[in-house]
Amino acid sequence: MSSPDPQHSSKPDLDESINVTKAHGRVERESAATAREQRIADNGHEPLALWVIVACGIVLLIAGGVIGDAGTLFSYGNTFKEGYVRGKAPGSLEEGPAPKDALAAFSAKGQKVYSKCNGCHGADGKGGASYPSLAGSAWVVGDTQKFAMIVLNGLQGPASNGKTYGVMPAQGSGMSAQDLAALMTFVRNGFGNSVGDVVTVEMAENALAISAAREKVGQAVTAEEIKADHMVMLEGEPLDPTTMVDPAKLTPVE
Amino acid sequence: MSSATQKSSSQDALLRSGIDRSLRHPVMFFMTSGAAWLAVSLILGVISSAKAHSPEFLDGCGWLTYGRVQAAHTSALIYGWGFQAAFGMIIWMMSRLSRQECRASGIILTAGHVWNVIISLGTLGILAGYGTGMPWMEFPSFTWPVITITYAVIMVWSLVQFKVRPEGHVYISQWYLLAAMIWFPWVFITTNLLLHVFPGNPVMAAGINAWYKSSLIFLFFVPIGLGMAFYLIPKVTGRAVHSYSLAKLGFWSLAIIMPWAGMQKLTGAPIPYFIPYLGAAATVLFFIPAFTAAVNLLRTAMASGDIVNNSPALRFTTAGIVGLIVMAVAAVFLNLPGSTLKLSQFSLSGYGFEMLSLYGFFSFVAFGAIYFIVPRITGREWLSRRLIKMHFFISIYGIMLIAVVAIFGGLQQGVGQEMFDQPWATASTRAYPYAICITFSWCTILISNIFFFMHLMVMWLRLGRRSNHPTLLVSAHGHSPHGEEGDIDNAGPGTAAAH
Repeated sequence: MSSPDPQHSSKPDLDESINVTKAHGRVERESAATAREQRIADNGHEPLALWVIVACGIVLLIAGGVIGDAGTLFSYGNTFKEGYVRGKAPGSLEEGPAPKDALAAFSAKGQKVYSKCNGCHGADGKGGASYPSLAGSAWVVGDTQKFAMIVLNGLQGPASNGKTYGVMPAQGSGMSAQDLAALMTFVRNGFGNSVGDVVTVEMAENALAISAAREKVGQAVTAEEIKADHMVMLEGEPLDPTTMVDPAKLTPVE
Repeated sequence: MSSATQKSSSQDALLRSGIDRSLRHPVMFFMTSGAAWLAVSLILGVISSAKAHSPEFLDGCGWLTYGRVQAAHTSALIYGWGFQAAFGMIIWMMSRLSRQECRASGIILTAGHVWNVIISLGTLGILAGYGTGMPWMEFPSFTWPVITITYAVIMVWSLVQFKVRPEGHVYISQWYLLAAMIWFPWVFITTNLLLHVFPGNPVMAAGINAWYKSSLIFLFFVPIGLGMAFYLIPKVTGRAVHSYSLAKLGFWSLAIIMPWAGMQKLTGAPIPYFIPYLGAAATVLFFIPAFTAAVNLLRTAMASGDIVNNSPALRFTTAGIVGLIVMAVAAVFLNLPGSTLKLSQFSLSGYGFEMLSLYGFFSFVAFGAIYFIVPRITGREWLSRRLIKMHFFISIYGIMLIAVVAIFGGLQQGVGQEMFDQPWATASTRAYPYAICITFSWCTILISNIFFFMHLMVMWLRLGRRSNHPTLLVSAHGHSPHGEEGDIDNAGPGTAAAH
């Protein structure tokens, strides 16, 4: 750039100190990248390719399938699919809870039922000043029929130790044979009691039948009635306490 | 094709040169600080990924526990790098397309500094344990009003420029940019109000958060990347965009479909049953806007295969478009109810998809833009084609590994998570080899971006090549390292091909 060519040197200089050619060269160099750019062309008008339309169509079909899984659109009340039933879980949990021996299974279920007795007889079954103790009570660990009648119908008058507490209300409403069997097994084998047998569901069904057939249906039993009518074991096939049963259904497993 | 255009007149060149000069400070600031944030994010990414398979790594430092460092990694990547690269591209492209110099570059530059301050505070806040725990919104909640205002101050000038543009039709890139500029405040303000100001049901809050993530990708980063690609590819090749109707289809399908996406993350959660499936269907349908735009762009670019191969800007942009196609296929593949949907939402797969969109697509287009814009605003050419090639190849291999490994490894992990009778550790064990591979890939991407960052710093210091010939990625065995055109500062106007 040191030797200016005649064409450029003939241009008028604005300032003697500026070498126009040199300055021009620098400007060109500094904006060279910009100068060599091209304009963005007008938009092309190639037709849509068929394969692009087909590919988009396939994806539309897939998306339609996904929407199909959505159930009723915009039904803000439903948080799960209509008619949804929980599918079978994979793996070992599918067989349900692991079987337990009968005494443990009945007692575990009975412990849950006992929660309604907690309030008076206490979590430890010891009762208290105004409630009789279940631990060691003769009516609890003795014949099962009288125990069942007391649970189902309540108790009026003196208890097994001869003392008179308040009136025990009936607990039988809404209690199933399973609940009763489990509860009795739990109480007879908990709180220090250790009868060691299982009150079966069959026995509890019989107890419900006997309770419904009492002369004074709807009234709490008394010590006299117990001694007169109910000093027997409930009838039914005894169950070996070591039999393995399903802890939810309380039925023996093969 | 017969539509190759002539070189523009010198009047046009002067105007463009003036626009570039008016923007050189803010654009260069956004690009360099964005690149620095990218490096920060990648270092945090390596640490968080390493902790996923080696929990004892750096376990003495409470600031670097996984929950914090992972959140800081994504936040730095999104708000530090992604947004600043987007700002640089938007303000430059909107000025160019509206054919006006920027009159507010001082204000934009100041707002850019405020943005960096608030992002730094937010990131430190996360590391100090004050994160919100909402993915991608982890910055402490005091930041969001500042972010909103700063965003508005940076962006409003581009809207004004568009408003007072000379008559003429609105170019495809402008559709995408304008839409994204308006969508982001809508999404950001809505979610922040619903999560921070008027909090409702917490399960639904998780859904809103998932919608925010999805919308940030599909309604901000994707349209900005596409806008840039629709600018660069026709610009550098000098060819018309393949099909105008295809471009319209791509834009409008994006606008109509993508706001529905996002809530598929909550599949099975107690929210209205149809919402996650609607989200999954919308995400599947992302294929349509992405694929039509990608085909359109690739058809335009591949008509000039040599230019794509030689120009750093186009090579990165085209790779980003290929990344967009992979992302579109992954969107279909990862959202099929009954097979992948339940496996992909809480596993590495979701992360793989996010990184594919943020790095595999958006960052590659942003790199392309930087390789194109920086020589124009600094008046210097890139120093070394070898650095550019290193950046390109190491990045490509890294992101390919991350995407493939995270997406498929995540499915394996998801299968482990589904086995609810197995301990949770089973899922981690299944993901273990994939997590190691992801750490390795982040390391390679980090290395590639160290090359990039150094190169950009050199350009920022105006130490680039003073030449009027572009730095092209041609192989030059037995030639000068700068190509056949000559050496540094060869001076004088030449007749280089347009790039």
